[in-house]
Amino acid sequence: MKRRQFLASGIMFAAFLSIRPSRLFAQWSSDSFKQVPLNEAFRNALGTADIEKTDKITIVAPPIATDASSVPVEIISAVKGERLFLFVEKNLTPLVFSCNYHGSALPWFALNIKMKESSMLHAVLWDGRQYIMSSVHVVVLAQAC
Amino acid sequence: MSDGVRMVAREENGIVSVKLVILHPSESGARKDENGNLVPAHFLKTGIVHLNGAPLIDLQLGPSVSKDPFLQFRFEGKKGDVLTMTFTDSKNVQFTTQGNVQ
Repeated sequence: MKRRQFLASGIMFAAFLSIRPSRLFAQWSSDSFKQVPLNEAFRNALGTADIEKTDKITIVAPPIATDASSVPVEIISAVKGERLFLFVEKNLTPLVFSCNYHGSALPWFALNIKMKESSMLHAVLWDGRQYIMSSVHVVVLAQAC
Repeated sequence: MSDGVRMVAREENGIVSVKLVILHPSESGARKDENGNLVPAHFLKTGIVHLNGAPLIDLQLGPSVSKDPFLQFRFEGKKGDVLTMTFTDSKNVQFTTQGNVQ
């Protein structure tokens, strides 16, 4: 191998090593997690607030949460989606998380969340064609956040 | 396995259920301490899960996630599959764990 080829291959290898896994995925979006009203949070995270209601997504959450600092929420989708979002309407930061699915991941996700007060929860799924949404109401007995 | 992460992954009928706890304060920045001062925000921001080296799930998280986040997810897999997870918080601290499906 000539010196020039050796140097070129070294530079290519160093460039490959510099690609950390996090750079291969979407960067954390400060706009998506702003303290804004729900419709603005929809627009910041999804690019639209016009979302079709569906019965293909089920949100399992306690109707009355005694501990608002840790409310268990489970989201089950009957359709295989590509991206899943959870919004809590009355939280200062409505978007709780966004999740991108790859490979053999199934559209099922559960997480414990904080709730500032009683609120609607909205699970939004990108099914590859459009955003679809299902909602439930959770009453909290004490404030968190 | 990182000290701050606990992960269990079990396969049944081709479906793997993963339970994950990350020991983390998850401060939203809106909570006041006993002296009435706001506790600075400190929460998990991103999470990336790889299955046998290939991407499976990537997450963006906000301040509404509870303290010591408890996450669960599922995928089609088998016993022996290798899961690698890396979470990064708002202070750029990383929490990493790796384990096999049982």
